[in-house]
Amino acid sequence: MNWSNVKLILMREVRDQLRDRRTLFMIAVLPLLLYPLLGMSFFQVTQFMREYPIRVLVIGSPVSAELPPLVEQDRFAGNLFTDPSTARLLQLSLQPSKAAEAGTPYDPLEQARRDMQQGNYEVVVYFPPNFAAQFARFHNSLLEDKSGESRADAQIPNVDIYPNLAKDASRAAYRRVSEVLDRWREEIGRQNLKDSKVSPAAAKPFEIATLDVAEIGQHKAALWSKVLPFVLLIWALTGAFYPAIDLCAGEKERGTLETLLSSPAERIEIVWGKLLTIMLFSMATAILNLLSLAITGSFVLSQLPNLGPPPGLAIVWLLAALVPVSALFSALCLALAAFARSTKEGQYYLMPLVLVTMPLTILPMAPGVELNLGNSLIPITGVVLLLRAMLEGNYFKVLPYIPLVVAVTLACCWLAIRWATDQFNTESVLFRESERWDINLWIKHLLRDRENTPSVSEAMFCGVLILMIRFFMSFALPMPHTFRDFAVLAVVTQLVVVATPALLMTIMLTRSPAQTLLLRRPPLIAPLAAVLLAVTLHPAINVLQTVVNRVYPLSEQFAKELDRLLIEPDSIWIMVLALGVMPAICEELAFRGFILSGLRHVGHKWTAIILSSVFFGAAHAIFQQSIIACLVGMVIGFLAIQSGSLLPGVLFHVVHNSMGLLIKQVAPTLGQEDHWLHWLMRNASDEGQLYHWPVVLCGLAASIAILLWFQRLPYARTPEESLQEAIDQQSPQWLPS
Amino acid sequence: MIHVRQLTKHYDDLTRGKCIALGGVSFDAIPGQIYGILGPNGAGKTTVLRILSTVLRPNGGTASVNGYDVVTQPSLVRHQIGFMSANTAVYDRMTAWEMVEYFGRLYGLQDEPLRGRMENLFTRLQMNEFRDVLGAKMSTGMKQKVSVARAIVHDPPVLIFDEATSGLDVLVARALLKSVAELREHGKCVVFSTHIMREAEKLCDRIAIMHRGHILAEGTLEELCDRHEERDLEELFFRLILHHDEILDLEGSRQ
Repeated sequence: MNWSNVKLILMREVRDQLRDRRTLFMIAVLPLLLYPLLGMSFFQVTQFMREYPIRVLVIGSPVSAELPPLVEQDRFAGNLFTDPSTARLLQLSLQPSKAAEAGTPYDPLEQARRDMQQGNYEVVVYFPPNFAAQFARFHNSLLEDKSGESRADAQIPNVDIYPNLAKDASRAAYRRVSEVLDRWREEIGRQNLKDSKVSPAAAKPFEIATLDVAEIGQHKAALWSKVLPFVLLIWALTGAFYPAIDLCAGEKERGTLETLLSSPAERIEIVWGKLLTIMLFSMATAILNLLSLAITGSFVLSQLPNLGPPPGLAIVWLLAALVPVSALFSALCLALAAFARSTKEGQYYLMPLVLVTMPLTILPMAPGVELNLGNSLIPITGVVLLLRAMLEGNYFKVLPYIPLVVAVTLACCWLAIRWATDQFNTESVLFRESERWDINLWIKHLLRDRENTPSVSEAMFCGVLILMIRFFMSFALPMPHTFRDFAVLAVVTQLVVVATPALLMTIMLTRSPAQTLLLRRPPLIAPLAAVLLAVTLHPAINVLQTVVNRVYPLSEQFAKELDRLLIEPDSIWIMVLALGVMPAICEELAFRGFILSGLRHVGHKWTAIILSSVFFGAAHAIFQQSIIACLVGMVIGFLAIQSGSLLPGVLFHVVHNSMGLLIKQVAPTLGQEDHWLHWLMRNASDEGQLYHWPVVLCGLAASIAILLWFQRLPYARTPEESLQEAIDQQSPQWLPS
Repeated sequence: MIHVRQLTKHYDDLTRGKCIALGGVSFDAIPGQIYGILGPNGAGKTTVLRILSTVLRPNGGTASVNGYDVVTQPSLVRHQIGFMSANTAVYDRMTAWEMVEYFGRLYGLQDEPLRGRMENLFTRLQMNEFRDVLGAKMSTGMKQKVSVARAIVHDPPVLIFDEATSGLDVLVARALLKSVAELREHGKCVVFSTHIMREAEKLCDRIAIMHRGHILAEGTLEELCDRHEERDLEELFFRLILHHDEILDLEGSRQ
């Protein structure tokens, strides 16, 4: 790749976009206008909201000398409010309480419901007709009889409030009115105590003081840490999308893409040039929006107590997070835009893109969602949570997650860029013409025009299908309780989830199942070498497993359960067959057979190996297992490609799985000095490293030697791989004479 | 200079399965000559020329440009050619000067030689008066001139024109043909595709008549006329095409 060409393309695209009025409007004008306008309308709306009175119907408001005043004129008494001036917001309608007529009992609930449904009131308060009288009797008995025995007939009836809690306005009214009634009741209580010559302190001997330890800065941080990441992401996406559409679909539409493709610029240079342009605009849009929001926000929020402009350090974290986020969005937009035939078609893809990214952006805003291992592995969510924690100032707590979030984001970026590059290398995408699409025709086409091995998309589909079936199966199947259950479950899962989709797809979508599933005789020594490799590599993998388990500890209960199932099998042979041999065959058929064969049409051996291993890893239920499986998958993928046969991989897999299972059986007895494996392993009751260090190192050295032997095997290249090799061998620097 | 051997290209089509765009095309073009590809719409002319410009990859056969293979050495091939077709437009938001300069730099020309070369080109193609006009504001004739300048700014030994005159008025088309003829005088190897008989007759040293992905006849105008005993190119063209259609229909009905 020639970076001066990338720079040249970048400069041109930037200049091109800056000359486009629509782009300038989106990235510069809109944010400058948007937030001041939003701020203004916010103020107006709040003013409107404050002025809006709540209509309350009070039926039978009690008036009596014994009771403190509840209603004064047509308002609740001012002393019942923290801020007496807010009393006017509750607009009262007063109605006398009817006594029940003879024959037809008066139903206050019915009355309230009718009034509420007609929308006349937000809330209805009902005092029974005898409320004041009963209270007076109660009050008198209180004064006369201090023993409290004759108070039974002086029961005060309930005061009923009828809100409609499904309506926001009514809920707000309910809150306010009950606050008023609470205060009124408290007032009555105080009065009663006073009349009974008891100090009011008897009922309320002390106050509960709330002392918020959060500093003002933290309040600010809490608010801003929710708002800023969201704004950042939304605008990074928007800022990437429109230039991307213009730079790819727009160029196709205007016919300049072919001009560029026939120039000496390589496809990858074009992709990078465009990607960097889109990233630049994405970042510029996000930054301008944040700036504008921060300026408007500080003015608006300075009016509110405890809040103010965002903390200064926030800017640094936001900028740091913006780079990977923009890169990811830009690459995604670029790939989508390259796929679109026209700008119109490109616009259609905005919604799906937003639908996918929005939940990832909103999830972190849910209460209680914090940065942890699981969340940090979710692409955009991890970044938002990390950013939030940084804005809140919890640096040390999130430190361990930074590498994870960075790795996940980088991996996503890499995949998206690859996807975009592939789009530019696919002529059917670049020169796509409108075609009548019909599901029947398409299925017929898939079955009729199939090739010897599956296509890349068919392979990807198979991988996703396996993951999805596995996901739904995990809900449908019961938890195993005995070893027998566990073994049966494992075999069924392997057959149904892994082997069946792969085999069915092989039969339906390929012409040569033997070539697809690598059912060929390997070089003579290869199977033996694979078995040997599994043995020599096992100590190193065990060390790795120990490290993984230490970083991401298994839940203790889960680990115990697993051990219980595995340590006391009915028969060691059934265990090896069900958990060692069966998965090896099924998984190899799927992941190194169908999926790897399809992915090899990408044109890069290692890309295919890594992608198939990621699927292989993801298909393991336990996360700790997935990491190891992913790495082991790469080794097996390499063996499969180099030997051109599935057999060495299957053997490696069988031996690898079986060793793990068998070692678990002998592990508890390893502590004894005279154990026959003492020279090899140490006691690992603490789940620590199993092998002695020299064994690990020797094994590793032997493994490398075996892998180098495999590397030297001549392997069959796919047409795409041969082509890619030839293209890579062009002299990279060629200048015209 | 250009050697094309048994080039094939097919597309996947939902209704018809594999749709053959090129069914084994071979020809050679040499420097100092204009090689014309004459054929109706959908004959496969654009597909051949897109393969030569490395924008498309063939499914079979080989093609080399100035000794470089179009499949395995695409970036070297692109340095050897100037490609201009009805589908290679000019940028709307770039001026004539910027556009040509941009491509000159992509071809790796250094500042000084590029400047000299551009001044020369702009004078020769009479483009100085709209040097600073944006592509969106240009007339079709201006755009065509910019495209020509863009295609030859790096002085490539091979030039490929794909239906370059389509949609142009007589004056602009004539000027373009004149520029193409000049390139021959400079010893360039020119491939020129068209569906207009007059252009092929007037301009091309050798003509290949193409139809439905096959070259039906190939040679100088005189050779073609002599071989088929037909003095009029248009009549010759129709006869060949009708004959080919009949053969294909016959094959189709036999299947």
